[in-house]
Amino acid sequence: MIIVLAFFAIIIFYDFQRFIRKKEPVRVFALYIFFMAISLTISLLLSAGKSISSPAQWIEAVFRMIGVVK
Amino acid sequence: MEKTQISSIQLSLILSGFLFGSTVIVAPVQEAKNDAWLALIIGGIAGTLLMGVYVAIALLNPSKTLVDILKEKFGKVIGTIFAILYIWYFLHIASLVLRNFGEFVCTTTFPQTPIIVVIGLFAVVLLYAVNSGIEVLGRLSELLMPVVPLVILITAFSIITVHDFTAFLPILENGIAPVFKAAFGYISFPFGETVAFLMLFPHLNDKKNLKKIVFISSVAINIIGIIIFFRDTFVLGNNLIERATFIPHLTSLLIPGLNVDPLVDINLLIGGGIKVSVCIYAAARALSQIAGINDYRKLTGAILTFCVVLSIWLYENILEMFSWVGRVWSYYSLPFQIVIPLLLLLLSLKKGKPSNAKTESLKQ
Repeated sequence: MIIVLAFFAIIIFYDFQRFIRKKEPVRVFALYIFFMAISLTISLLLSAGKSISSPAQWIEAVFRMIGVVK
Repeated sequence: MEKTQISSIQLSLILSGFLFGSTVIVAPVQEAKNDAWLALIIGGIAGTLLMGVYVAIALLNPSKTLVDILKEKFGKVIGTIFAILYIWYFLHIASLVLRNFGEFVCTTTFPQTPIIVVIGLFAVVLLYAVNSGIEVLGRLSELLMPVVPLVILITAFSIITVHDFTAFLPILENGIAPVFKAAFGYISFPFGETVAFLMLFPHLNDKKNLKKIVFISSVAINIIGIIIFFRDTFVLGNNLIERATFIPHLTSLLIPGLNVDPLVDINLLIGGGIKVSVCIYAAARALSQIAGINDYRKLTGAILTFCVVLSIWLYENILEMFSWVGRVWSYYSLPFQIVIPLLLLLLSLKKGKPSNAKTESLKQ
């Protein structure tokens, strides 16, 4: 878990430094934070051993509901 | 829009690399057993026709990316929703290929290395390639793609002494149904996935060659696919192929007195690398277009990080992945690969007709 946090901290620090220096618009920050926040949350949950259902399972469940996949 | 241009040969090689992709390890027509070569031919023809639809869309909407076309044909709101769904789809493909690569390397070459390390290191290299731009990806393909058929031929000829040339007989032992089912799967993987190229086609410097490029790439990959099938079947036989997880790896292990296993890894590295790069490029370009960001490179780092995490999150293990891909992938891909592109083609043709009439009336 510490490795995951350290990895994300380094990447985010490096990219943010670049964004601030180049005075990027808010949209860039928003999208960047969106992707990184999701990635960090999932990584922490996975490293903690918490089983969270994946998008593949959601997609399969939808197809099962429709009756395409048995 | 980015002003970079790629030549016909470069696009052809990128397309071939994309189609080759992870087919080295995921045998897409395996369920047809002995008749997989028939499924390869039928699926290959149908897949080429499907790619023809994408080419027609690109030619009817010159210099426009998939996002532009979607917004123009479906309106701003619905077009943006579809574009976001396509971004997800491209990320999903990239994650699948990353996972394939990670599983293959961790199972066959580096069994002691954690999969996240393998995928992470691969992703760093790909991030550099994607950030270098589409021109660099084109030049990289020119340099690396000739290695792919060379490796396949080396492997095929190295095991010439252990061949059983009747291993693919009898033909149609289980009827034609499994052949068509496998062919359907082969259309969606890998041909249908080339819908991502609608983000790349505007970069081609000579649009006249687009049909030819797509046709040649498709034929070349089909021939390679058939060679791989016969090579593996002649050497391993149908029963062993059915039980094997990584078929080409197993074939390469049978070469007497020579270890060519790293060559299979190299093929996967080239094909998979091109495929992931194209998908990440397409997703980043689409996202930057939707958000109105002038440079797609600002988001590639975050997108690729997300893909690495997604590749681990999606499936528990490789068997679950193969099972999911076999059962769900074709149906899941249907709207992205066939339904929406066909709608786009119809709308493009519909809109194209009055403008043609208009130009004709102007000529008169």
